[in-house]
Amino acid sequence: MNGIQRKILTMSATVLFIMVAIWVVLTYYNQKTQEQYNDILQRYLRMNEATDRSHQTISALNDYLLKPSSVKLETLKLTQAKLLKAKEGIALLRNVDNAFTLTSYINMIDSLVETSNLSVMFEEQRNPEQSAVRFEETTRIDKYITETTLTLIDKEVRTYDHFYRGIIGQSEKLKQLGMWLLSLITIILLLFTYWFSLSITKPIHRLTLAAKELSRGRFDKQIEIHSNDEISFLAKTFDRMRININNLISEIQQKAQLESELQQSKLLLKESQLRSLQSQINPHFLFNTLDTLSKKAYLDGSEETSDLIASVAGLLRYNLRRLDRAVTLQDELSVMLKYIEIQKARFTDRLHYVQEIDDSCLELKLPCLTLQPIIENAIIHAVEPLEDGGLITFRIRRDGNEAIIQIEDTGDGIDAETVKRIMEDGPQSESQGHSTGIGFSNVVKRLRLFFGKEDVISIHSAIGQGTLVTIKIPFTEVQDDHAQAAASR
Amino acid sequence: MRKFIVAVLSASCIVILYFTVSTLVQVFAFDLSTPAVAEEQQKGYRLVLITLEQDTPFWEKVELGAASAAKQNGASLEVWGTYGANRDDFLKNIEIAIASKVDGIIVQGLDTDEFKNLTKIRAASNGIPIITVANDVPMNESLRRTYVGSDHLKAGEMIARQLVSDMGFSGEVVLMVSDRQEFFQRSRLTGILNVLGQYRNIETKIVASGDSRENVAEATNQVLNDAPGAQAFIAVAANHARSIVQEIGKRRQVGNLFIYSFDDSPETLTLLQEGKLDALIMQAPERMGEESVSLMVKWLRGELVPLNPDGYFTEMRVMRAEEAS
Repeated sequence: MNGIQRKILTMSATVLFIMVAIWVVLTYYNQKTQEQYNDILQRYLRMNEATDRSHQTISALNDYLLKPSSVKLETLKLTQAKLLKAKEGIALLRNVDNAFTLTSYINMIDSLVETSNLSVMFEEQRNPEQSAVRFEETTRIDKYITETTLTLIDKEVRTYDHFYRGIIGQSEKLKQLGMWLLSLITIILLLFTYWFSLSITKPIHRLTLAAKELSRGRFDKQIEIHSNDEISFLAKTFDRMRININNLISEIQQKAQLESELQQSKLLLKESQLRSLQSQINPHFLFNTLDTLSKKAYLDGSEETSDLIASVAGLLRYNLRRLDRAVTLQDELSVMLKYIEIQKARFTDRLHYVQEIDDSCLELKLPCLTLQPIIENAIIHAVEPLEDGGLITFRIRRDGNEAIIQIEDTGDGIDAETVKRIMEDGPQSESQGHSTGIGFSNVVKRLRLFFGKEDVISIHSAIGQGTLVTIKIPFTEVQDDHAQAAASR
Repeated sequence: MRKFIVAVLSASCIVILYFTVSTLVQVFAFDLSTPAVAEEQQKGYRLVLITLEQDTPFWEKVELGAASAAKQNGASLEVWGTYGANRDDFLKNIEIAIASKVDGIIVQGLDTDEFKNLTKIRAASNGIPIITVANDVPMNESLRRTYVGSDHLKAGEMIARQLVSDMGFSGEVVLMVSDRQEFFQRSRLTGILNVLGQYRNIETKIVASGDSRENVAEATNQVLNDAPGAQAFIAVAANHARSIVQEIGKRRQVGNLFIYSFDDSPETLTLLQEGKLDALIMQAPERMGEESVSLMVKWLRGELVPLNPDGYFTEMRVMRAEEAS
């Protein structure tokens, strides 16, 4: 059974119960009073009956004496029997107050029967004088019986006086009680109904208010309704719906943000592709020429030149093919080393390069052409302008759940403003001088997009102190999936 | 507003609840127990005391004594009296008692044929014992078991002796009697005459009159006319005393006469205190009541069979005006 129905049924049952209880009590009381009345009337009727029977006996006796016959004698015996029966009924009326009189009364009835029998006996013995005397005596006793009946009734009234007054007073009070009870029940029901209806309508009202809030677009307000019926269930579902809608909305917002970010990254890619295309007007021709140059140099005995040209060719190829894909750290590292080699050829002793590599990190994925632009940046700012050259230290190490890649140079450092501009998507004017056409900012953005977090790259630098670029790549599988997904897009 | 209404409703609810509960308590506070139904016949003997003059203080005392004795003996006693000495009702009461088959009848003796007939034939034939109290009726006439009360013969003698000692050995004495001539009155008269007869110089004059006030007054007037020299009056019927004193007071100086009576009622006691009566016989009515009931019970139980046919006399004494005042 559900809540509201149960409540209504409970209320009806309560009302019904009260009504029935009152009805039962009143009926019971009425019944009892009725019985008492009946008892009282019974007493009077019995007394009256005895008197009547005694009169009947007299008239039957008189009848018989006037003209004796067996039929009349039979009638007399019958009335006598009735009288004696009435006497038995009278005997039950005995109480403390009337015991003496009642005993006398019963004895008088006996005397009446005895004297009437004597009268009959004398009549049968043909002794009319004696018979008449007995008859007279019987008549007198009958008179006494009547008087005693009155005395008894008088005593009855006196004995029961207190009782009668009690009954009258009680019925009077009962009437008052009825009035009070009626008003009490009315008020209690009024209160009860009010409370009861409140328990149903209040949650509904609150629910209505909540619905109004929702319709106004406020999804963040919790709906709280404490009730033990369906309304509470309704409110709970309503609240769940509100939470779902809220979640959906925020999800949509997130998606929209993601969409815009994707759009942005695509634009960046396009831009870098465009730049690279500008410098690769005829890549096959360039590769072939470079290969030819490399072989030529080799044949001429200039192995160094040959290697250099091969590195340049590899670098160019890598740059062209893999720009929109995730690559392993290993690949990135080899391209970077090729670049270093080229630059070493250029700067000879001025460029010092040191590397510390933890091989276990080399299988990690990351966007392509991320390390090379950073190294290039370091060479441009920390080696090229200085006469004595500079030291570039490259480290890969594992720190717990993530790989840490550090590129450190010994240049003049970068001022905080520039660092900020690089990190916060500033104008990319300085990318012009880069070999691959990809600037530092581009790298920062791609890394952030790829790993989906802001602190993937950080720059520590100060004027005259050198620069330390740190990239943190997490080891997680999910990250790999994401990387793959992002890469396949 | 709503809160206010609820508060008002709650308050009135409490008030009405109070009234309801109090009325409920009142309804059930009524004592509706019916008088207890007595178990069968009550134990103890059912006795009836039938008197002729229920309203007199003398008989009230007799009833009191009888009631207390009945209570002691566990007998139930009813007193059936008549007012104003209605003889028919008195006789009827006796007949009712006989018809009611009571265990014993204690009755004020009445010296009439109907009374004797009732006691002798009806009561005796029904086996109901009768004890006369205060006033006796001779046993051979009434078949009473015994008599309880004053010895009226002796009372007469006592009052006569008192008279002689007050008045001396010579003088004229008027004896006022009731014309009903009951046995106890005859006894008193006999007693008085027994004493006074010994003195030759004392003359006695017996005047009978009806019981009503007028009759007594008339008779008194007559005797005052007939015997102007009378020195002493004895109201043999005690209830005549007041009328006699009043009537004499109209004609002569009461203090100079010797006036005597029997029975100590408030009326006669007042007269005694006022000095209008010179002496009267004090009886013991309560003792009579007690004695009669306990004797009846003893006889019924068979503890004292037979009862003394001459009767059991209760004490009495002469009370003089000097003692009373």
